[in-house]
Amino acid sequence: MSLCPDLPRPGFSFDNCKRNAALESRGYKSKGFVKTGTTIVGVCYKDGVVLGADSRATGGNIVADKFCDKLHKMSNKIFCAGAGTASDCDKVTEMIRGQIALLELNSGRDVRVASVVRIIKQYLYRYQGHIGCALIIGGYDATGCHLHSIAPHGSSMELPYLTMGSGSLAATAVLESRWKPDLDLEATKKLVRDATAAGILNDLGSGSSVNMVVLTKKGNETFYPYDIVCAKGVRSGLYDFPSGTTKVLRTKVIPYEIEKVEVRGASEEDEPMDI
Amino acid sequence: MIADVDEPISTGTTLVAAHFKDGIVIAADSRTSSGSYVANRVADKLTKITDSIYCCRSGSAADTQCIADAVAYHLAFYEMQTGKPATVEAAANVFRNICYKYRDDMVAGIICAGYDDERGGGIYSIPPGGCLVEEKRVISAGSGSVFISGFLDALFKNNMSKEECVDLCLKAVSLAIHKDTSSGGVCRMAVITKDGVERKLFLNNELVQYEG
Amino acid sequence: MMSHEPEPSPTTCGAPLLQRGFDPYRDNAGTLVGIAGEDFAVIGSDLRLSLGFSIFSRDQSKLFKLTDRAVLGSSGCWADCVSLNKFLEIRLKTYGFEHNQPMSTKAIAQCCSTMLYSRRFFPYFAWNILAGIDEDGKGAIYSYDPVGNFERVPYQAAGNSGPQVLPFLDSIVGKKNQSNPDKAPITKERAINLIKDIFISAAERDITVGDGTHIIVITKDGLEEIRLDLRKD
Repeated sequence: MSLCPDLPRPGFSFDNCKRNAALESRGYKSKGFVKTGTTIVGVCYKDGVVLGADSRATGGNIVADKFCDKLHKMSNKIFCAGAGTASDCDKVTEMIRGQIALLELNSGRDVRVASVVRIIKQYLYRYQGHIGCALIIGGYDATGCHLHSIAPHGSSMELPYLTMGSGSLAATAVLESRWKPDLDLEATKKLVRDATAAGILNDLGSGSSVNMVVLTKKGNETFYPYDIVCAKGVRSGLYDFPSGTTKVLRTKVIPYEIEKVEVRGASEEDEPMDI
Repeated sequence: MIADVDEPISTGTTLVAAHFKDGIVIAADSRTSSGSYVANRVADKLTKITDSIYCCRSGSAADTQCIADAVAYHLAFYEMQTGKPATVEAAANVFRNICYKYRDDMVAGIICAGYDDERGGGIYSIPPGGCLVEEKRVISAGSGSVFISGFLDALFKNNMSKEECVDLCLKAVSLAIHKDTSSGGVCRMAVITKDGVERKLFLNNELVQYEG
Repeated sequence: MMSHEPEPSPTTCGAPLLQRGFDPYRDNAGTLVGIAGEDFAVIGSDLRLSLGFSIFSRDQSKLFKLTDRAVLGSSGCWADCVSLNKFLEIRLKTYGFEHNQPMSTKAIAQCCSTMLYSRRFFPYFAWNILAGIDEDGKGAIYSYDPVGNFERVPYQAAGNSGPQVLPFLDSIVGKKNQSNPDKAPITKERAINLIKDIFISAAERDITVGDGTHIIVITKDGLEEIRLDLRKD
């Protein structure tokens, strides 16, 4: 055994890429990733930002999760809505959240939206689009409220209203026709709900309910869910089986042998916890 | 999928940069598209590098934003070390170095333009591939440039006034927006002189209307 | 020695060779479920017509009423389904004129197979289930593959959710792998409710199923139609 064992290399492992390419060239179909074929929406209003997302995760034609959370908390007043490959969105936001927490602890200030955007876009750019996450980042900071989007290749833009994901075309239609500057909170929530619902109803990749978060200078207020657009269907039948449906072929009982019963109480000898 | 929302975002663009007697004018349309989907209809493709140097971006949005950030960082550091702002020529060379080094991996066509006290207004073009061309009169770039380069050559005059130059750039960008499907939206402009930068915005209904 | 490197793709002057193909097939999805009983057959389809992530129609039944004793369900490439059923309609009309009586369900089943196989090397991209009443007045379900292989079965599920629904039918209708199950034949009401519940459940987990379902019950008295709303997301 060596005295100084090699640490595992940090970052992604590409060991299997060559093997997978060889398998695929021989006709093996690789499994698809879970994609959040998604509708995410963000709208600025006079006192803050409202982010909305649907709650369906898909793997091919199958609904993988009916109530998944696509709104990720980055800091108290900054949230991030993710579309694209589900694991990429989860991991990237989780990782960046850690960096941001350290940044806030080191500087003693609330981190700005622009900083979060810059950290994420530089991370995504480094992976040249292979990390498939499209994000909308909204929040309130020392410079007011901001709404940015970042595409998987690492380009970003700042706009007063934004949508991303496969349902973005339906959602854009609602936003382009109804958005006005300086809406009040209720009107903005209604607009975000309707834009997300347009995605939910018209895009097969989006579904179930609208989740929402409102970010203002007071902090964040979450609505999980804000509105259930399509509720679960009600079945009339009961599909249970009478007992005995599964035939018992053989029975064998193996009893436990209890060798000794010992009850240990908390004593002075136990090591106390240091504070 | 019907629309190309999954395509990489790129700025199939119209960019114009022109000299006039006190400095330079840069102008651009505002459409960024992802395949056939307009990802942003009011984008700002004129990106600030230093207080008096701007760049106009065309090509991949991710690549050009990254380059602009890197050059801005470089020049800020340069200014701190030398105690004086970088010249436009120096900025253009930093752009060229990056564009040339990563020419196989990036899609970027950049115009670097600005004003410095040593040489006055300067316009440098860094087309895809990473060469560097200084322009003494007027230049257009991006997918819309094919529709307007002749127009600009015909109507450009040396030592124009600011108003004349702004008018020429607006007409050129209007023409390109009219003819090029990858260009659209509004016309954004920046006039850079020794007095600083003046940003202008012409909404879609303020563009010059052409028939045909 | 065998090399395990993938072969380089062919190029022209260094650029990768682009293969332009003729790709006439579109998967417009759709799910079909059929159950045969003693003296009836029930067949159901969803009402959503889609391509990729887009919805084309929320009210498009995939059931074609061929005679008052037989209904064909077709899903897959909708253009192919419509085309197949147009030609089938012509064959049935011609048969009616020539024989002065409608085609029997058994004959329709064979006719469908022949028509599907006639396109063996450019097949209709259509998954079919034929439901009807046979000459003895018994319920019949015929199941097809796209090139005309067919089989009379007691129940069948096909189309997009077919693989998810069929094991459920095996268990509930086929009573497979159960010790001393109740082998009483399925009643009409139970079959109808089962198909309704199947579509409600399929809409939960399959993104291509939704909007509504169209069910046709075939008895000796003719066809009875039932419609039910499903979730619209």
